[in-house]
Amino acid sequence: MAEITYLDAIRRALLEEMSRDPNVFVMGQDVAGFGGAFRATRGLFERFGRLRVINTPLCESGAVGAALGAALAGKRPVVEMQFADFVSCAFNQIVNNVAKTYYRWEQPVPMVIRLPYGGGVGAGPFHSQCDEAWFTHVPGLAVVAPATAEDALGMLKAAIRDPNPVIFLEHRFLYRREKFTLDDDDTEHLTPLGKARVARPGELITVLSYSVTLHEALAAAEEVAKEGISVEVIDLRTLMPLDEETVFASCRKTGKVLVVHEATETSGFGAELVARVADQCFEHLDGPIRRVAYADRPAPYNKHLEAALLPERGAIVSALRALARY
Amino acid sequence: MDPVESPRPPPSLLRRAHFFMHLTRAWDHRFESMARSGRIGRWYSAVGNEVCTVSAALAMSPGDALSTVHRDLGAVLATYLDPTRLAPALFSEGDATAWDAVRPPPAPLLHRLACQVLGKRDGFTRGVDRSFHYGLLRADWGIRHVGMISHLGAMIPVAAGLGLASLQDGAAAVAVSFTGEGATSQGDFHEALNLAGVLRLPLVLVVENNQYAFSTPVSEQYACARLSDRAVGYGIAGETVDGTDFDATYGAMRRATDRARRGEGATLVEVMLPRMRGHAIGDGSYEIIPQAERERFLAMDPVARFEATLRERGLLDDARARAVLETATALVESAVENALKAPEPDPVEARRPVFAPGEVATAFSSQHTERRHG
Repeated sequence: MAEITYLDAIRRALLEEMSRDPNVFVMGQDVAGFGGAFRATRGLFERFGRLRVINTPLCESGAVGAALGAALAGKRPVVEMQFADFVSCAFNQIVNNVAKTYYRWEQPVPMVIRLPYGGGVGAGPFHSQCDEAWFTHVPGLAVVAPATAEDALGMLKAAIRDPNPVIFLEHRFLYRREKFTLDDDDTEHLTPLGKARVARPGELITVLSYSVTLHEALAAAEEVAKEGISVEVIDLRTLMPLDEETVFASCRKTGKVLVVHEATETSGFGAELVARVADQCFEHLDGPIRRVAYADRPAPYNKHLEAALLPERGAIVSALRALARY
Repeated sequence: MDPVESPRPPPSLLRRAHFFMHLTRAWDHRFESMARSGRIGRWYSAVGNEVCTVSAALAMSPGDALSTVHRDLGAVLATYLDPTRLAPALFSEGDATAWDAVRPPPAPLLHRLACQVLGKRDGFTRGVDRSFHYGLLRADWGIRHVGMISHLGAMIPVAAGLGLASLQDGAAAVAVSFTGEGATSQGDFHEALNLAGVLRLPLVLVVENNQYAFSTPVSEQYACARLSDRAVGYGIAGETVDGTDFDATYGAMRRATDRARRGEGATLVEVMLPRMRGHAIGDGSYEIIPQAERERFLAMDPVARFEATLRERGLLDDARARAVLETATALVESAVENALKAPEPDPVEARRPVFAPGEVATAFSSQHTERRHG
């Protein structure tokens, strides 16, 4: 038994899947001897060598395009973006080439693009963005965002095994904060893709969240529980495709819904959640579907300024109280 | 680059090249006429590119990866088809290659290609995507072809990745990729060639420089003397060849594929081509080329020059020239007629899965949005 962090979980998933399947390889900037900007690939180069742990020049588009070519040749590439913000440089390859291949000519593209993402660490406008909605809009991409170390391990392994491109959003704030305990010899710890999880059962209000804000939502739920407000918190885990069964069942049960995410609010993934819940659960709803999200601004650098925009526990608590009264 | 002498191509290879050039041109003529009459929406003619594309394909080995854009029909045909079975009257037994032995029966493949270009059910994408926007990965046939997306330059990194996989497998297979001079201005050109240089990838990038990108002349596309000079900047080999000269072009392609196969890395081959057509038939881009330049380009016809060379060498006479032309025309006519009569795709094809079978696909199809649309 060993306690491993969210970051350890990423590394362990890569190690296990590369050991299991010789077609799995990683590529990205500084991923080889250096082990990546966050050391997520530390030790892999020594173990698997230069043909399976590949340093690329600074070329996000070239790297994703090359990963597509390798995937078409039978490989299962895992591409690391140094920061999720830089994936915009690979946008065309992802949305037009990678995402559309299977629909166009029915050739599977097994590929994972790892995006260390999110704010809360005072990193400014180009190292803090939450990119999920850029990709959930594109047919042909799976988009996942684990909130826990356990899911970071299980979902990365599942993503590598799936025959489709998966945008893997791993939250930097959680890298060293989230932990779980795992048997050393458990190498088959898998979390199914497309399955949400009831992170906290409750009766009055459903909170739909994922990644870092799941923890804020859980803390807020704990706080309002003292006031007699029973909140059910759903960890979506996979955004696209969405586990509607779990989401709708909870929304129909409670009748009140709050969506919480760190991404900016307008046209964020929450908008899709609101639309789907409104469409499919309308007659069960007892109030408006509300959102707590990042203000529609780039992420400012100074931590006090950033804190002013982040969707934090206080805002979630206020929204829950207002919904409870509604 | 070092002027390594390549052996002069043998007569059987020249016969094969000649046949595929005419098959390509016959196909172009047929589709150009359909584009002019409105029978098909667009046609991007490959007239003038035949020596370039066919010679590149003939420099490939079974299992090499091919990445094409929209004027590379010659490479597609010469990679896919066994000419000795497609046109047995034109070839003798000794003309068949080891690759031909594993190639599939040619007529059904030609039919699928015609259906693909016409958007029919039996095309490679079954009507979902247009013309050369598809791939055909059949290792058992020695064919590994990845077609284009419309962003052109975007395919160069993909070809680099096909080469990367070969390097990872310790295989001798190389990746041959085509693009136009316009796409050399895109970032993916730079990223892919730099990556190929750093990782020493077995990649051959053929730049078909036909002087114009849509209406943009090379003077407005780049300011360097020769695009192949850029190879120096990537630490790869580069050369510029006259795409109306078969021996020179084939020699360059062979040097490039041989070098990649030996593990010596990538080559940028710039092939200078006459612009014998506009961007797409009927889009007005041909007419903006000055009349004198158009005439000069038409007089440079690579296929005519190749035929003259064959005649000089005693490898072509009137009877064979006529037989090749008639056979190519008849094969295309038959393929197109059959494809025109072939069924349209079932409308349900539009809603086919976006995910390959697995957890993600199962979860995707259980969403109500999918159930509603499905």
